[in-house]
Amino acid sequence: MTAKVFQYAPAAPELEDDPVRGELMHLNMGPQHPATHGVLRLKIDMDGENMRNVEPVVGYLHRGKEKTCESLGWAKFLPHTDRLDYVQPLMNNCGYLMALEKLAGLAVPERGRLIRVLLMEISRIAAHLIYLGTTAIDLGAVSMFFNTFKERERIYTILDAYTGHRMNNSYIRMGGVYADVDPEVEGKVRAFLENFPREIDGYEAMLTGNRIWYDRNRDVGVLTREEALAWSLTGPNLRATGVEYDLRKNEPYSGYEDYDFEVPVGTVGDCYDRYLVRVEEMRQSVKIALQALERIRDTRGAEFLAEDRRYVLPPRGKVHTSMEELIFQFKVVTDMRLPKGEAYVGIESSKGELGFFVASDGRSNPLRCHIRAPGLMNVQAIPLLAEGRLFSDMVAIIGSLDFVMGEVDR
Amino acid sequence: MSQAPAQRETRERIAKALEGIDHQTSESRDGMTCVDVDRDGLHETLLRLRDFAGFSQITFVTAIDRHPAEPRFEVAHQLWACAYADRVRVRTRVNGDDPRLPSCVDLWPGAGFMERECFDMFGVGFDGHEGLKRLLMPEEYEHHPLRKEFPHQGIEPDKLYREWDAARRAEWEASS
Amino acid sequence: MGPLTPSALEPVETADAGFLATRADALVNWGRKNSLWPMPLGLSCCGIELMAMIGPKFDIARFGAEAARFSPRQCDLLIVAGTLTWKMAQACRTIYDQMPDPKWVIAMGVCSSSGGMYDSYAVVQGVDSLLPVDVYVPGCPPRPDAVIDALLKLQKRIERENPLKRVISGPATELDDTGTGARVYQPNAAVRRSMLDRHPHAPRAPRPLPHPGGEEEPS
Repeated sequence: MTAKVFQYAPAAPELEDDPVRGELMHLNMGPQHPATHGVLRLKIDMDGENMRNVEPVVGYLHRGKEKTCESLGWAKFLPHTDRLDYVQPLMNNCGYLMALEKLAGLAVPERGRLIRVLLMEISRIAAHLIYLGTTAIDLGAVSMFFNTFKERERIYTILDAYTGHRMNNSYIRMGGVYADVDPEVEGKVRAFLENFPREIDGYEAMLTGNRIWYDRNRDVGVLTREEALAWSLTGPNLRATGVEYDLRKNEPYSGYEDYDFEVPVGTVGDCYDRYLVRVEEMRQSVKIALQALERIRDTRGAEFLAEDRRYVLPPRGKVHTSMEELIFQFKVVTDMRLPKGEAYVGIESSKGELGFFVASDGRSNPLRCHIRAPGLMNVQAIPLLAEGRLFSDMVAIIGSLDFVMGEVDR
Repeated sequence: MSQAPAQRETRERIAKALEGIDHQTSESRDGMTCVDVDRDGLHETLLRLRDFAGFSQITFVTAIDRHPAEPRFEVAHQLWACAYADRVRVRTRVNGDDPRLPSCVDLWPGAGFMERECFDMFGVGFDGHEGLKRLLMPEEYEHHPLRKEFPHQGIEPDKLYREWDAARRAEWEASS
Repeated sequence: MGPLTPSALEPVETADAGFLATRADALVNWGRKNSLWPMPLGLSCCGIELMAMIGPKFDIARFGAEAARFSPRQCDLLIVAGTLTWKMAQACRTIYDQMPDPKWVIAMGVCSSSGGMYDSYAVVQGVDSLLPVDVYVPGCPPRPDAVIDALLKLQKRIERENPLKRVISGPATELDDTGTGARVYQPNAAVRRSMLDRHPHAPRAPRPLPHPGGEEEPS
């Protein structure tokens, strides 16, 4: 494995059939395959049961998000960010708007940041639940899918009550969030969070010590620290190799420096370590979300949305009664102008570093909005981990790298 | 800004690593250090930033198209130093008639997909990247969608599908 | 399990098909509609809601459609869940062609119904430019309740079909246009060949209603 580190293998070369070892079989996996978690296609050259050459083909869900941003404008692109990594829509909202806020120099009030942290951590739990459920079902543990979806449905119910939709919420706004958390929702979130660690114990009782799960994951897809850095892997995949780097800790945003939590790291860097890191991250997310809830309770009544009318939508009630607010609403939606310049914000999403690189030339249409997708880098690492291994390890590797095609292809 | 000392430290480190290379350092609006170099010095700059300034990972490679202006493409490589928790953006401007840059796949294998995406979307070529081909659009696609002159709704978006469909139909009709 | 409904028991006005055929039709339709095997073409966000639909809370097993198979050869209901791009269109059409007759299609979500919010260079503006669609479900993504409603509507529609009529009056001599050697079969007669030749950005021509039990394609 390590001999291959700094060589990028671009495409499968024309393989000559070896008369001694028999023909290589060209296997096409995807784009419609249940274990590829979306529309990923893998071209695999098989030597018996061993994978000789793997080439991921992406782009089957390329919808032209970045072009869409350029033609729609800053404000109207917000709902499109939901559909990037659609298992954690609120996190994408946050990342995009934080980049715009950085470019505009807009500060978010304390309570707005607290609510964002709460929503981001709940999104992280929801995303890791999808990882756990789908990876487990691919490796044969079908009941895990139902267990994780049971909890996901609880999150959906809470978000449905609070944001108005089960997923693709588009709930974060420039300068804060759309509406305040009311005490009823707060109680529901608290009840969910207090119950959730017991559910994690249940998942761990089913998987962590399970002989089949252990054998299918341990020492499969081993990444070293150097490989992970060179191949641009971030997030849980990087931390599983032992690099203790979490953007929430090391480059804090949205007030994460005030929370008490730990960053789990792995030791070996295999699929099993990535699983352990993600399970522990869910526990830490619960911890952060509970702290955020405490503070939300303490700051009730405080402002949660900035007042700058150049960028921030006026409250809905005022739009119907005040002429100025109506004009502001119209201006923000159709013609929001950000200052000239470039800004980059990277946030710790459940897949890795989700970055938004925005550039404005001072006009109402964006000059460029590049989305740095962690999933694309995770897909790129599949050949590194899979080549030379048995084909049955492929589903474990794909599952443990954890990507969502909506974000990979954009 | 509160990060001013850290910013200064980053800039000193970069200046030390890039001694002897023609470059300008500036600060972008988000407070990140930006290094402007020309095309010929790009590879050497990236190599030195990796080896002497500790920038161990490449975060993204992308381009900005400033269409009527020339040079129209501004290619940005953003690097991240794990040990120092800081970042730098290296910007290079290239002309629209000859958009080529040296590739940095030999420095960071993770740049492979990023450069392919940049080539796919803008038509910016990367010398030294062996497998440079389209990433997101089909390989036979003719346009570069993120160029400013390309319309949002595309030019004949269904062309490849219709060709495939016609070929399939002809094959079937010949066989039956 | 639905009952043998009276609407399916009404006699068919043809010379060959009489009382017996009507009864047999009802029986076949009853079997078909209560054991739909979906092929979940989970492309994007809607795929997650589709998983939630199969999951514990919504549980489409209650309607006999929980046997999701990822091989098109085993399925008779294609659920296109999510954004279909032109790059994926060939795969989607191939999957549809590989499904055995009779087959039905649900377009889940606005993206697959009409292109939805993506009016861009890469997205198919509605899967009905490639496939005949039986039920459209709006929403981005639609709630699982909405998809279950679509399933029930499709079941009602299946009830009205006359599967035995073709057997009695002889097999169709005309070959399907799918390129798979399949015969023209009534549930999919709704799509016209010329629909494929329409530019997706061109304004939609008014579509004739799908012909529920007809002998020929509507002109």
